[in-house]
Amino acid sequence: MRVLAALSLLVLMGLLALGVSGVFPRPALPPMDEVAAEWGAKNVVAAIVLGVRLWDTLFEILVYAMTMVGVKLGLRLLRWEHAIPPIRETPLLRRSADLLLGPIVVFALYVAVSGHLGPGGGFPAGAILGTALLLLALAKGVERLSAEIHEPSLEWAEYGAIVAILAVAGGLLLVGRRGSGYLIAANVLIALEVGIGAWVVLHRFASSRGEV
Amino acid sequence: MEGLAAVALAIALAGLGFWNLIVRRNLIWKLLGLNVAASGAILFLVALAHRPGARPPIVGLGPGPSADPLPHALVLTAIVIDFATLALALVYVIFLTEHRHTQDVERLERDEERGWPQP
Amino acid sequence: MGAILFSALTLALAVFALTQRRLLWGVIGVGAHSLALAGVYLFLAAPDVALTQAAIGFGLVTFIYLLALRRTGKLTVVAVETPPLLHQEGQRVAGLEWEILSRFGRHLHQDVEVLWVTRAEIPRLLRAGEADIGAGGFLPRSEDRVLLSRPLVPTRIVTVRCAPGPLGAVAGDRGEDHLPADRATYEDHRELASALGAGEVGGVVADLLHVRQWILSGEVQPSKTSDQEETSFRFAVAPGEEDVHQALDAFLAELEANGELAQLVRRYVG
Repeated sequence: MRVLAALSLLVLMGLLALGVSGVFPRPALPPMDEVAAEWGAKNVVAAIVLGVRLWDTLFEILVYAMTMVGVKLGLRLLRWEHAIPPIRETPLLRRSADLLLGPIVVFALYVAVSGHLGPGGGFPAGAILGTALLLLALAKGVERLSAEIHEPSLEWAEYGAIVAILAVAGGLLLVGRRGSGYLIAANVLIALEVGIGAWVVLHRFASSRGEV
Repeated sequence: MEGLAAVALAIALAGLGFWNLIVRRNLIWKLLGLNVAASGAILFLVALAHRPGARPPIVGLGPGPSADPLPHALVLTAIVIDFATLALALVYVIFLTEHRHTQDVERLERDEERGWPQP
Repeated sequence: MGAILFSALTLALAVFALTQRRLLWGVIGVGAHSLALAGVYLFLAAPDVALTQAAIGFGLVTFIYLLALRRTGKLTVVAVETPPLLHQEGQRVAGLEWEILSRFGRHLHQDVEVLWVTRAEIPRLLRAGEADIGAGGFLPRSEDRVLLSRPLVPTRIVTVRCAPGPLGAVAGDRGEDHLPADRATYEDHRELASALGAGEVGGVVADLLHVRQWILSGEVQPSKTSDQEETSFRFAVAPGEEDVHQALDAFLAELEANGELAQLVRRYVG
């Protein structure tokens, strides 16, 4: 069995090497700048993610949402029976966490909003949002942060964001109007969806153990 | 030059990750190996998109050929999906550890044959 | 040049991560590998991918692994090699304590992993949460600040004199408490015995189990021995692991009650 696996690994590597070696001709690039200009973007990747290959992105978002639902359902079956230990009060850390929450959210928004002009976009912005919230949770305690940011309504916001993305994209496909306004809206919605999803999953993981 | 080095690195990472995936018996180690192998695959795509002396695919960053943005867009979503599926896989690993009390695949197989231990 | 440097760093971190024994280091290594990989993406003219990889690969993935590690895991035992209590026989681990620990692992349905360390490192590793149980002829000292199991095997601390000169003991061992001002400490019992044979120290303070083996093997010819105190070998448990501590004590009490512990002690120690 292991020999078979190793052999298939070798075959795979050979295929990869064949791909690089230049046996197959590589197509010339289409004029990317025109594509970007057509969608009102400077970052060609944003124009492709949210424009040319929109279907890919939509289904990717659906896969992400499905996985998050799966994680939530799976962890709901696994309760941690013991009492949650109280969080030790560290006023300095807590105060600085309070101060940091705003700038982090603003930074994530900036990355999302400027995604069509430079490097960035909805996905990294969402990841930044999720990681930042978890860092804050380390300082303040998961449950308290979860209460402070109104997690149940946040979850509804996540589903709302998914519906809104689908609506915006569907409207775009029907009407066919393109522009930077659409790109900004889609990026912000994706950032919301990815960020809230990541936070909810991390929170479920953390609270199924009782602490971070 | 950079492209070739990156392709070599990608193949090395994929091999290393798959080797770990095959050899290790612990499920979380297997997932870590899978993670590295996936990063190798992603790096391979990004390396293919790179041309000698290419600039980032952003309009107005100067003359010269730009890197192919299509693999970048593909890879961007692949990284996010990687994270999501990893979370789901870890939930299953936690489930196995809670209910079967092991993460060792060989022990899982052995227990499967001989019947599960009663907690 | 920078690309090649970053590529080498990425590969080195991946190799480091995947060849570790402890999962925690593997997870940290993979996180650092992701960050270095983001640098490689920058050199490949893919800033979008670099940003995403840094945020997700380094932040979220590492976090979720760490959270999962807290929920799962296995019993990690740090031990000093001490025949006949806990020692290696070829590829296998054997000994009285191994018998108990492997049964305890089966009892908890967890794998038991033994890492060989020196006596002085055991309390540090336990307090740092790097391991769950310390074993291998563990004699408790007050400055260890770890949880202790019920006594396993009673023993005695003795001072053995062969020649005039300073007294030696194993660093961190209980014998160190009984050293006079004129002292020398060694990393493990083997070094201590060879120092005694070489005449670096005139005598040793150690437990009866080791002293008896040295005398039986002829390594040490004592001119004078004196008892210091009665004590017993125990397991050390990491301070954070109250659950493991209670389970281990209950398990040992059960072994003691049905007479299996006495049977095991007779078989291994005599």
